[in-house]
Amino acid sequence: MENILLNLKTFWQFTGFANLQWGHLIMIVIGCIFIYLAIKKEWEPMLLVPIGFGILIGNIPLFAGLSVGVYEEGSVLNILYQGVQQGFYPPLIFMGIGAMTDFSALISNPKLLLIGAAAQFGIFGAYAISLAVGFEPSQAGAIGIIGGADGPTAIFLTSRLAPDLLGAVAVSAYSYMALVPVIQPPIMKALTTKKERLIRMKPPRPVATTEKILFPIIGFLLTAFIVPSGIPLLGMLFFGNLIKESGVTRRLANTASGPLIDVVTILIGLTVGASTQADHFLRPESVKIFIIGALSFIIATFAGVLFVKIFNLFLKEGNKINPLIGNSGVSAVPDAARVSHMIGLEYDKTNYLLMHAMGPNVAGVIGSAVAAGILLGFLA
Amino acid sequence: MPMKRIFKTFLVVAGLGIAFIANGQNQGAMRINEYLVINTDDYQDDFGQQNSWIELFNSSYGTVDIGGCYLTDDSTNLKKYPIPGGDVLTAIKPRQHVLFWADNQPYRGTFHVSFDLENAEEIILVKSDGVSIIDRIPVRKDLAPNVSFGRTDDGIGSINGDGEGWEIMERTTPSTNNRTIDKTLQSNRMKAMDPWGWIMSVLAMTVVFVALIFLYLIFKQIGKINIRQGKKRAAAKTGKKVTETLYGEAPGEAYAAIAFALHLYRVESEAHDEESFIMTLQHTDRSYSPWSSKIYSLRQLPQLKRK
Repeated sequence: MENILLNLKTFWQFTGFANLQWGHLIMIVIGCIFIYLAIKKEWEPMLLVPIGFGILIGNIPLFAGLSVGVYEEGSVLNILYQGVQQGFYPPLIFMGIGAMTDFSALISNPKLLLIGAAAQFGIFGAYAISLAVGFEPSQAGAIGIIGGADGPTAIFLTSRLAPDLLGAVAVSAYSYMALVPVIQPPIMKALTTKKERLIRMKPPRPVATTEKILFPIIGFLLTAFIVPSGIPLLGMLFFGNLIKESGVTRRLANTASGPLIDVVTILIGLTVGASTQADHFLRPESVKIFIIGALSFIIATFAGVLFVKIFNLFLKEGNKINPLIGNSGVSAVPDAARVSHMIGLEYDKTNYLLMHAMGPNVAGVIGSAVAAGILLGFLA
Repeated sequence: MPMKRIFKTFLVVAGLGIAFIANGQNQGAMRINEYLVINTDDYQDDFGQQNSWIELFNSSYGTVDIGGCYLTDDSTNLKKYPIPGGDVLTAIKPRQHVLFWADNQPYRGTFHVSFDLENAEEIILVKSDGVSIIDRIPVRKDLAPNVSFGRTDDGIGSINGDGEGWEIMERTTPSTNNRTIDKTLQSNRMKAMDPWGWIMSVLAMTVVFVALIFLYLIFKQIGKINIRQGKKRAAAKTGKKVTETLYGEAPGEAYAAIAFALHLYRVESEAHDEESFIMTLQHTDRSYSPWSSKIYSLRQLPQLKRK
């Protein structure tokens, strides 16, 4: 009997209950909130469900030597996490994004590219704020990229510049991407007049197949020559788009935009979630990162909308851009464009802005990849 | 200046720029990077001997084959030591170093030159044409034994022999970086140079804008060319000159009417022998559009709901 009790006591010590700390509980609650928001509110469910459940996986209290934790070398989770740590999941996701992105809106009205550039102010605004609150330049670069509103880019850059902050940056980036419909509309409304919100833009012209094929080739050559450090992201993005637009590699495009990106999305979401172990995640820095992350989204939205307003001063009547698409310069595809569309419809039910907003939205993907390349070049 | 001319000028300038840069990725990118004159207790060659040495550095990001180039200590004889061609070891990888022994024993192999530094006035690296000087540096006579003279940063500094960017090295660094690269050096340097991040922000935003402005200009021109060709094709087909593109000018009602007509055409049961030719289109408040549908968002799968 005594032996049984002794064994039970030993077993108890091995359970999660015996090793439970407040931090684990807090993280489990956060994970459950993510899952709730994803299922009930449909906020980025493809990302928040894996991340939310990953947080649960990563915060089951463990005792040392069990070799199952995400940070324990050789464990299954650790092997899967290598895709994040070594940075090869994000380029694969970028290939899938390229294979499912139609750049027609951008090609038909290439000046929308500039909105995608303007919104990158969010990245560098957050970079400056991070430095001001005491982060090191490499850490500030990793935090700043949250403002790009691009999860894979944020993970890729952080794994290179500040691996210690990976969990906080990734969760912050994806959380705010999910919150785009909450963060952006008040700023868009505050910065625009009713007259501006009613601006009707010319429908995009039909784009020839040749133009669609040339876009990824020229786009890659140009951006990669200017920022070679962005090659992993830019190369895969434009390659994915080329296999889509070429029309002769349909199977490859289908795989890249379907099964492959699905697999990688599951793995990246789950492992990023699992990397938020309480002892790694619940730190004062994480709170700062979350606050700066929110500011970066706000700055990016401000910059995008204001840029369109200023740009309009130089455009002829009839060619003006509805400033409600300025928010789409952040690369949260397609949510930011959808926000432009929905806010536009609030003021004119027949003014469909979505196709116009997709232009700066995909330009934002290119812009944030270029910005990531610059940060990598300067700070790595 | 018309846009067309600006674009053409841009293409020419860009082409020349690229050609100039591309030309830089060759033998001209090689640099004399460091040398040691008196070697009594330093690096040994494959024969176990300590001799003067010269380090070259490939400052480019492409492999450079220095086979056929020349090393000399005599400005009146630029072809004094021809670096043998056909040796795989003379293909210097990007940002890598190669060491030559200045022991006046060229028969010992590719990397042993036909002069020594103790009697040399300067070191000159010459292109394979035997005429063009790539880099030159005077040999200092005041160097202590086992103390080398080299560029502060690999490949950076003058190439005309005035010694700018060169210094007496704290320690010799044959076949490796003159300054050991600290992993955090770049970040620290940024911190010292730009503590508030303004320089980085301005610089990076400029680069982002430049990249996307180039893309904008190029695709604006491509779009114009495409529209022009479309008009030409249309003119060739109809025999009439197409003066204006009507893309995007039709009102939504026209599209609705076309779609409706096509629908009637395809579904024969809907077509009548005699049409009224009156169509009433009513705007609805429905904000739904396939564009904004969740089912078209990233990787959302269809859901089967059973009652």
